[in-house]
Amino acid sequence: MKSYEGVALLAPVSFGYARQSPHTAPWFIGKTLKLMLQQSGISKDEIDGFAVSSFSLGADSVITLTQHYQISPRWIEQLPYGGASGVMALRRAARAIQAGDASVIACIGGDGAAHRSFERTAGEFSSFTIDSSFPYGAGGPNAAFAMITRNYMERYGATREDFARIAVDQRYNANHYSPALLGHKTLSVEQYLAARPIAGPVHLFDCVMPCAGGEGFLVMDEERARSTGLPYCLISAADELHNAHRDDPVQERGGWTTYANDMYQRAGLGPDDINLVQTYDDYPVISMMQLEDLGFCAKGEGQAFVQATDMRFDGSGPQPNKLPHNTNGGQLSVGQAGAAAGYLGVTESLRQLTGTAGDNQVAKARHAMVSGFGMVNYDRGLCSAAAILSGAGS
Amino acid sequence: MTTSSKMQSRMKLNRPSVRHKARPPKQRTPIGEAFTAANLPCALSLQHCADCGAAQYPPRELCHACLGDLVWRETAGNGVISSRVDLHHSLWEFFKRHTAQQPWPIASIALDCGPTVLAHLDLTSFGADSADAVTAGTAVQVFSHSDCSQQVVLIAVSAHEAIGTADQRREITARLGLLEPALKPGGI
Repeated sequence: MKSYEGVALLAPVSFGYARQSPHTAPWFIGKTLKLMLQQSGISKDEIDGFAVSSFSLGADSVITLTQHYQISPRWIEQLPYGGASGVMALRRAARAIQAGDASVIACIGGDGAAHRSFERTAGEFSSFTIDSSFPYGAGGPNAAFAMITRNYMERYGATREDFARIAVDQRYNANHYSPALLGHKTLSVEQYLAARPIAGPVHLFDCVMPCAGGEGFLVMDEERARSTGLPYCLISAADELHNAHRDDPVQERGGWTTYANDMYQRAGLGPDDINLVQTYDDYPVISMMQLEDLGFCAKGEGQAFVQATDMRFDGSGPQPNKLPHNTNGGQLSVGQAGAAAGYLGVTESLRQLTGTAGDNQVAKARHAMVSGFGMVNYDRGLCSAAAILSGAGS
Repeated sequence: MTTSSKMQSRMKLNRPSVRHKARPPKQRTPIGEAFTAANLPCALSLQHCADCGAAQYPPRELCHACLGDLVWRETAGNGVISSRVDLHHSLWEFFKRHTAQQPWPIASIALDCGPTVLAHLDLTSFGADSADAVTAGTAVQVFSHSDCSQQVVLIAVSAHEAIGTADQRREITARLGLLEPALKPGGI
């Protein structure tokens, strides 16, 4: 695969997180765009590429948004791919920059959260969902992931105490990231274990809270990025594979297993060189699966890994190994702003690698692994995508 | 009453939480409707490929193996439990009312004929008191039955349960609570 040389990512923005909002997706997407422009000093008319991810655009699409915001891009892309949207957007935007199809691309995920809108999204997610999972009481993807979690626990011996490690360290990180909707509350292992049951082994703190918000970043060539005066990041490697391992009776792995090694090779890095990891944490079991499939530990060793690893952003935990993970709290503590949640790991990585994270800054963050996962059509998540991002100075 | 407040009160009445009778989801795609139609006269009917014979589920337009056209065909529902859970929460009022009383068990089942299906799990036939008590790998039979929304759903029972007659299948469906709407709880 051709390298992503010469492509810069910058101006990460996270905007407007709220449990409910009277505003619709175009407001969150547009406000995110405005903040990206303010941050970079780039004018709206200079945006000639526009990638959008959203579940709540309704009759609108990326093309109708161009008139809403009065921009005239020569490259547009719509990526309603849930948790993989952010990494997929950056890959496509990077290729468009390399090919010269566009010069300044805004990649934005944004969703509103009208009263009871989550019900509609969950109930009408896809044909398979409508016909074959929603009629069985599945509350959104909870039932599918409860089955996946139950199977994983029985097969590999993981316990709720292991999943608690992920949720509890993420909450600590969220306590240092002010936009996190649950960041004002602490979470102990005891509280995690005592939470009310939702489906099978999945309890309240294993589930994300649906919310509204926007996430975005700019993609351009390095020269242009330098002219903004802003710190930026490079793509050391990236890949994706969808509906992988499709014959596994219950999902135990994702597409990452097929390309993680190649990614490390292309980046000239190994798992030990990665300073922080952002997994897509729609449920802790999925984060554990990504840590395994991305080579941080072997399959089935996820629970031993999280027990021995301090995943706090500042390394203040008692565990001997250190690997900052979901350094702003992830969706489990920030909230899941629809398809914007698929951008959360990218924007957070960009802040960390450019030293602009603020209170939750990871010391000496040079290389980040960011992983995306998403789209539960029936019994499993279909999308997988991952990228190794590096600070421009590294 | 102004038009807009009339509309508001109508919308309020339409909210499932204030409905006296709540039923399972009725919405289906056209192919989901075809699944219901094909299953009304028999114990289980799944789409099969007219070319390669592969069984299919969830219902779809084309064969997952060779993209051939599909026909409905009666099928034996033997299989094994892949995974199973008790639901304690749902977004749908019918299930909300049930899970407020007791957990609602469901299972994913690898059918011997190929596909994996999601089904309501009949604990009684296993002598089990929770979904977890029905271990992965347990042999089951899956059959279809209409619920009180007049849509067909799948139900998994022990491999030893008698499901040969329509009456037997109806009795199992009834004990799951699928034939009656869930009534609004009393009180203030």
